[in-house]
Amino acid sequence: MSEIVKTEPFVMNIGPQHPSTHGVFRVKVTVDGEQITDAEMVIGYLHRSMEKLAEERTYTQNIPFTDRTDYLSSMSNNLGYCLAVEKLGGLSVPARGQAIRVIMAELQRLASHCMGAGAFANDTGAWQTPVMWFNRERERILDIFEMTSGARLTCNYMRIGGVAFELRSGFEEAVRNLLPRLQQTIADGQELLAENEIFIARARDVAVVSPETAIGASLTGPMLRGSGVAWDIRKADPYSGYEKYDFQIPIGYKGDAYDRFTVRLEEMRQSIKIVEQALDDLPGGPHSTEVPLAFRPPAGEAYARIESPRGELGYYLISDGGPSPFRFHIRPPSLINLSVLKEMTVGASVADAIIALGSVDIVVGEIDR
Amino acid sequence: MSTRWWSSTEFAEFLSKLVPDSISRVEENACYLVPEKLVEAMMALRDDADSNFVHLTNLCAADYWDKFEVIYHIQSLEKNCIASVKVEVLDRENPVLPSVTSVWHGAWLQECEAYDLYGIRFENHPNLTRILLWEGYPGWPLRKDFLTMPGGLQPGLNEFAGTAAKPEPPVHTVE
Repeated sequence: MSEIVKTEPFVMNIGPQHPSTHGVFRVKVTVDGEQITDAEMVIGYLHRSMEKLAEERTYTQNIPFTDRTDYLSSMSNNLGYCLAVEKLGGLSVPARGQAIRVIMAELQRLASHCMGAGAFANDTGAWQTPVMWFNRERERILDIFEMTSGARLTCNYMRIGGVAFELRSGFEEAVRNLLPRLQQTIADGQELLAENEIFIARARDVAVVSPETAIGASLTGPMLRGSGVAWDIRKADPYSGYEKYDFQIPIGYKGDAYDRFTVRLEEMRQSIKIVEQALDDLPGGPHSTEVPLAFRPPAGEAYARIESPRGELGYYLISDGGPSPFRFHIRPPSLINLSVLKEMTVGASVADAIIALGSVDIVVGEIDR
Repeated sequence: MSTRWWSSTEFAEFLSKLVPDSISRVEENACYLVPEKLVEAMMALRDDADSNFVHLTNLCAADYWDKFEVIYHIQSLEKNCIASVKVEVLDRENPVLPSVTSVWHGAWLQECEAYDLYGIRFENHPNLTRILLWEGYPGWPLRKDFLTMPGGLQPGLNEFAGTAAKPEPPVHTVE
């Protein structure tokens, strides 16, 4: 009865059109039986050459491009870009503008992590129900964005020197009503997913990244913190007045997919804390400094970075003194976090590779730009 | 406490002790390294306890018409400091630079991207392929002489981009 079943290597595509790849992203995996022996990612389906286009437009005209890189966190992208231009031009932002930016960036982190946590639950097999809970609250955050900037996803709200408009009346009330609901959703996520036996069995010890690997591979954000490295740009290199707020950096201790999920949940709690503090002492005064529309920063270069929901989002600008950037480079956290895709997936099964990819929380618009 | 940026003079002084003859020149905002010594210098900067640049934050290229520059932003998480290092690539026809993937694994995709968009070949890279565009795409899109519209004028310039050696002050009509 002893029959030896042999398998041979087989190349298989995951994506580009597959719900588990979170966009048009393709992984070419070589499988031997159920085990993955090689994984190669194929990207570029969404490449729109923003870095080239940005060299032909003025600094202000480039802000809408940044919305469309990481389309799940446009406010954070706006903020990173505006900080880089302000650094280049030596501009300052009034205190009220800074506080509004922090509120928006943190609400955006909440919205983005709602999507990330929900989609990750989807990948583990908790099909559709958690993603709907999280999206229900995310939709309320997007309503607040729509109220403030007129758009849900591509907000284009920040400007060089501040923000585009003053907050609408009723904004503070809307946010204050929303925060307890979010708190409840996070608690539900904690209780029904993070403490669920099936979920733990599915996500624990899957796609482990050691701290040394994480640092060497330039990982940032929840990927790095999930591996136990307490590195957050908001603490390490505060921008836009983050040094005034009291919050903690959550870290994982095993560096697996489960740790990244719980780090995201905890980060959402910390974001709520920051938003509350920022609303409590929202300073008065102007929301923006006057900057000419055809703004010409002096020749030079600047690298500014923020902690976006996905990691360190950097903008590197070179100016030749003209009205448009000479070089416009985005450091995309989603792309660089995928450096460890091979390490996470080789040796694992195909089902675990889906979880590994889900735990990175990629946005393809940012990978391809 | 915010991140400390190493000034280029301080950085040059430190590196010249660590790896002699690895610096070609020092400018106000960055220190330029010699390509032949690049990997050795980066390895020393990563492993030395005083610099401890274990994290390659950003790697990108830039086109200055007569030369390319590759810019490395390297940082130490423990000491919370960051430095900007540059390398010049003078040969426009055949731009080659040693790869730093042996120093930081995180350089892999960023070097692929620089190759894809600028055509700079990184030697000893494990798998240097075009990632955003497909193999066989004509040209290197982020070079300054690559036009966004076929046959068009490069905005900001008053000459055809391929023929202009170096642009005079850019002419924009935005005001």
